[in-house]
Amino acid sequence: MRIAFTVNGRLHGLEIEPGEYLLEVLRRIGYKSVRRSCGSASCGTCTVLLNGKPILSCSTFAASVDGQNIETVEGMADGDKLHPIQEAILEEGAAQCGYCIPAVVMTGEALLRENPDPTDEDIRLALNGNLCRCTGYEAQNRAIKKAAGVMRGETDE
Amino acid sequence: MLTNVSEYFRPQTVEEAYELMQNDKEHSIFLSGGTIVALMKSSRIEKVIDLKSLRLDTVSVTEDEIVVGATTTVESFRKDPVIRKKFGEFFYEAFSLVGSWQIRNMATIGGSIAPKLGWSDVSTCLLVTGSSLIIYGVDGYQRMLISDYFSLPAGEKPLITHVILKRDGWFSAFEKFSKTTFDVATVNAGLSIRPEQGRIKAARVVCGSRPQYPARFESVESAMVDLEINEVMPSIVRSLVYESFVGGSNMTASFEYRKHLALVLAQRAAEKLKGMIE
Repeated sequence: MRIAFTVNGRLHGLEIEPGEYLLEVLRRIGYKSVRRSCGSASCGTCTVLLNGKPILSCSTFAASVDGQNIETVEGMADGDKLHPIQEAILEEGAAQCGYCIPAVVMTGEALLRENPDPTDEDIRLALNGNLCRCTGYEAQNRAIKKAAGVMRGETDE
Repeated sequence: MLTNVSEYFRPQTVEEAYELMQNDKEHSIFLSGGTIVALMKSSRIEKVIDLKSLRLDTVSVTEDEIVVGATTTVESFRKDPVIRKKFGEFFYEAFSLVGSWQIRNMATIGGSIAPKLGWSDVSTCLLVTGSSLIIYGVDGYQRMLISDYFSLPAGEKPLITHVILKRDGWFSAFEKFSKTTFDVATVNAGLSIRPEQGRIKAARVVCGSRPQYPARFESVESAMVDLEINEVMPSIVRSLVYESFVGGSNMTASFEYRKHLALVLAQRAAEKLKGMIE
């Protein structure tokens, strides 16, 4: 079957199998930041934004996003300039192996659009579906908090 | 990929969706949020009927009821201003315990009830608030209690179109125990009471993930009527749940463990209610 959807503002029209998941289709067309891991809606590494809301692409049928807008981490940086969340993750040492990080960035971005000044608890709740086996989460939480300040214009980039 | 899926339908009306299901019940499945269907990995599924195209994703208010479209996501529901106005923080807080943010953005209210899942926190919360369903089936549209829906034969596959909520002076609380913050419940418990002059006029007590689907404990409910709402009440509720708990064992927990968890959760919910009413 044929579907069309935008990824990071770019329109894609393509043939898919009716039973294919969004994760598989996104990776096939080159969005390799969308990571395959548990395949069972448990780890969050496949998180993308669907119409601005974080969802799990491993358990979303590609056919169901026909006509919708998807965002992945490939669309976050502005040329060579990283997004404040990406910058803060580097500065806070919030990535080790990095496998979960694209999903953390997207969940963080969705949170900050909805709540530009989140508390530590807000951040923990938002990220509780993003598993990370390396960092223990503290640095990621700090990074989101720091990026929020930058995006509000309160601290220097 | 669900390899055997060969057709993906986007019906435009409830009637059309139902007919598509009736045409091949054995190989068809309704898709709402997709969190269950996509994970079934079932070779039986050949036809997916996507209900999102029905646009049943709104929350509206009638004179004495709130009408929630079945494809409203759990996250939209918990944050909906109408729901928060009518139910305070009950659904907002209880549904924050349902899965992760990502899952709540996908899972829908109707889709959480339809598969009759034992561990559904959504079903427990809706049962304890006395909510009912509008379904479309062989007799057309029909209003039905959630408990009656759970009793339908497995072969019947009506379509849930709406959930109807009332409040009518009830106070509700929900507690859940799970192994991680976004895991499914090992046991969950909901408690609602209607107070009158410092006593319980009526009560609803629901336990889910027993592991059977959530059910009301009517013997506990009737024993709670006329109890004074004081500091002793929560421990009485605990004892009543202990005496009446019905459940079983599976790979997640034994019957004995679940029973103990259930009475602790019921007591905590009762303490919350006492705090709300005082």
